[in-house]
Amino acid sequence: MTALELVSHLTELIYVLIFLLVVWGALRRRTRTSVDIALFFGAIAIFIVESQIVTLFGLQQVELVNDVVTILVIAMPYLLLRLVDDFSTVPSIASRLGEVGLVFSAIAFLASEGTPPAPIAQVVVLYFAALATYCAVKFIRAARRSSGVTRRRLEAIAGGTLLLGLTILVAGLAPLIPPAAGALEGAVQLLALGSAIAYIVGFAPPGILRRAWQEPELRAFLRRAASLPRLPDTPSIVRALQDGAGSTLGARATIGLYDRETNKLRFQDPHGVLPNEIGPSDYLIWRAFERQQAEYYPDAARANPTLASLYRALGVRSLLIAPISAADERLGALEAYTDHQPVFSEDDLDLVRLLADQAAVILESRNLMDDAARVQAHEEAARLKEDFISAAAHDLKTPLTTLVAQAQFLERRAVNEPSAPADLTGIRRIVFEARRLSALVVELLDASRLEQGKLVGEREPVDLVELARDVARRESYRDRRITLSADRPVVGMYDRRRIAQVVENLVENAVKYSPEESEIRVAITDQSGQALLDVTDQGIGIPAADLPQIFERFHRAANVDDRRFAGMGLGLFICKGIVEQHGGRIWVESRVGTGSTFHVVLPLGGAA
Amino acid sequence: MDDDPSIVAVITDILRAEGHEVVSAENGQEALAKVNGEALVLLDMRMPVLDGWGFAKSFRASGRRSPIVVMTAAENARRWAEEIGADGYLAKPFEIDALIAAVERHATRPH
Repeated sequence: MTALELVSHLTELIYVLIFLLVVWGALRRRTRTSVDIALFFGAIAIFIVESQIVTLFGLQQVELVNDVVTILVIAMPYLLLRLVDDFSTVPSIASRLGEVGLVFSAIAFLASEGTPPAPIAQVVVLYFAALATYCAVKFIRAARRSSGVTRRRLEAIAGGTLLLGLTILVAGLAPLIPPAAGALEGAVQLLALGSAIAYIVGFAPPGILRRAWQEPELRAFLRRAASLPRLPDTPSIVRALQDGAGSTLGARATIGLYDRETNKLRFQDPHGVLPNEIGPSDYLIWRAFERQQAEYYPDAARANPTLASLYRALGVRSLLIAPISAADERLGALEAYTDHQPVFSEDDLDLVRLLADQAAVILESRNLMDDAARVQAHEEAARLKEDFISAAAHDLKTPLTTLVAQAQFLERRAVNEPSAPADLTGIRRIVFEARRLSALVVELLDASRLEQGKLVGEREPVDLVELARDVARRESYRDRRITLSADRPVVGMYDRRRIAQVVENLVENAVKYSPEESEIRVAITDQSGQALLDVTDQGIGIPAADLPQIFERFHRAANVDDRRFAGMGLGLFICKGIVEQHGGRIWVESRVGTGSTFHVVLPLGGAA
Repeated sequence: MDDDPSIVAVITDILRAEGHEVVSAENGQEALAKVNGEALVLLDMRMPVLDGWGFAKSFRASGRRSPIVVMTAAENARRWAEEIGADGYLAKPFEIDALIAAVERHATRPH
């Protein structure tokens, strides 16, 4: 056996092998494409097998068999054209030309008993070569539009088709150049082997190649995916996953998230194919989700006729759906829409499955992050509550200390010296501390009422200027410089006691957190139906990090040394509640070391 | 010393009635200036300007040896007392007998 014969046999072996593989594929999943592929290789395989049998057993060629095989061979380029039409539209003029060529060459061969005169044979060869080149170009175009495994497979098929065309061209032209016949014969065998190898790679790629081809796409997706769980919320993660899956698949993709409470899949479908949520229904995505199975629907309109017109309007031809699940946890489903039937649905479905698994990992890690944050927030709330209780206990114990000691001291005196005059100072001290204790209890009750929204009661006309003046003139502030600036009375409808509480609290804070010699300014104005109250101090200020939480319950700024400034951290929380329940707003501007200004805006009407 | 004037007043009254001499202060800094060779220091922990921790540190650093009894309303009275190396502690609110007993027990006897 010569080397050329070896090449020839190898080529034949590969073509027969491809035929067996594609027939197996077509039997497993009968689609138009798989049948067309099987037909194409069937023509080649039958031709090969028939000529082998004839050669091996030295049989006389049966004319009928010979004619059938001839027609099959002649039909090959046309079958290729049909295959191209399956995933890329072949213009009808090209189809007609293909058909005309098919009929012409069939007649030419049958009429001449297999050996048409040279010029006609050359026309047929040119027709074969032109058709193969046209198909190769179409395959390359289809490859450009695809991605991943499909793209590589289409590229291989385009290469195989081009080589096949060349094989036919060179074989057909060889008799015209007798001196080069030997060399051309060798070239034909090598080109044929090349086309066989390219075709087996394209039509029946081994698993290892598929995985290698999938890798770059998957890697690109994963690179993007790594940062996804950190996006601010789940909807942005879903959007990013949809975009990523879409560009990886070269199709449009949408993700439905499963909501266990309502037993529904929720969508933010950017393509408008699906409603916002889908419960148990005939929707294909729900079916795939319920079965927890990846599904391929080559013809979406036929699989779900209720949506047929919508699918058509949106140009959706086929659907690939995979459930998104982490272990036993059903998270949702991924649906990819394509405007043409995928050439190699198995590969695309594999990729959709892989992407759905990645989406599951990302969504699950996001869920875990959310859970962790919830636990943390819960612990933080518990800690705050504990801090609050111990702060409250501390504050209550201070007046209690005087009350207990003073009362026992009075009792002891009364027992030891019954005739001694009453200790008026001691008694007054008890009264004073009892009031203080009661005020603290009221503050605690206020905070709890505020939470129930029952803090603000009946409203009456209140002059804020007069109210602020009363606060500034308090005996306890007589050593402090508190200046009030106001041109005229500012009267609004307020709960007098509560608004007074706000002013007292702001002034009290200013006094507490600023040096004794510094000035505290209270300014009150009215502007377009609103009262504005500013309290400015030159105190320690509030660190920027604490500003957003300064009005929260129990929050105390980091620079408030709680050993120096005992307090419950409730004052501003209550102030904010009172102001807001009056329909107003309170905020603060502050710089550490410079001081703070608290601004309050209240509607004069006082209606919330 | 205590930043709460009522507490300072009532403790002063009680201890004077027991026959002790009392010097009072509102914070650690004021106390550092006033205290000199007293038989006992009753120390509140949370005070403005100079708190109990600061006072104890400066007080010991200056070589003064008077015993210290911590008075605090905080739950960790005992730990705080240990932290500053105090001789004893009183958890607020305390009984008048406990105050008197603590003073009797820890105060250095005049020689």
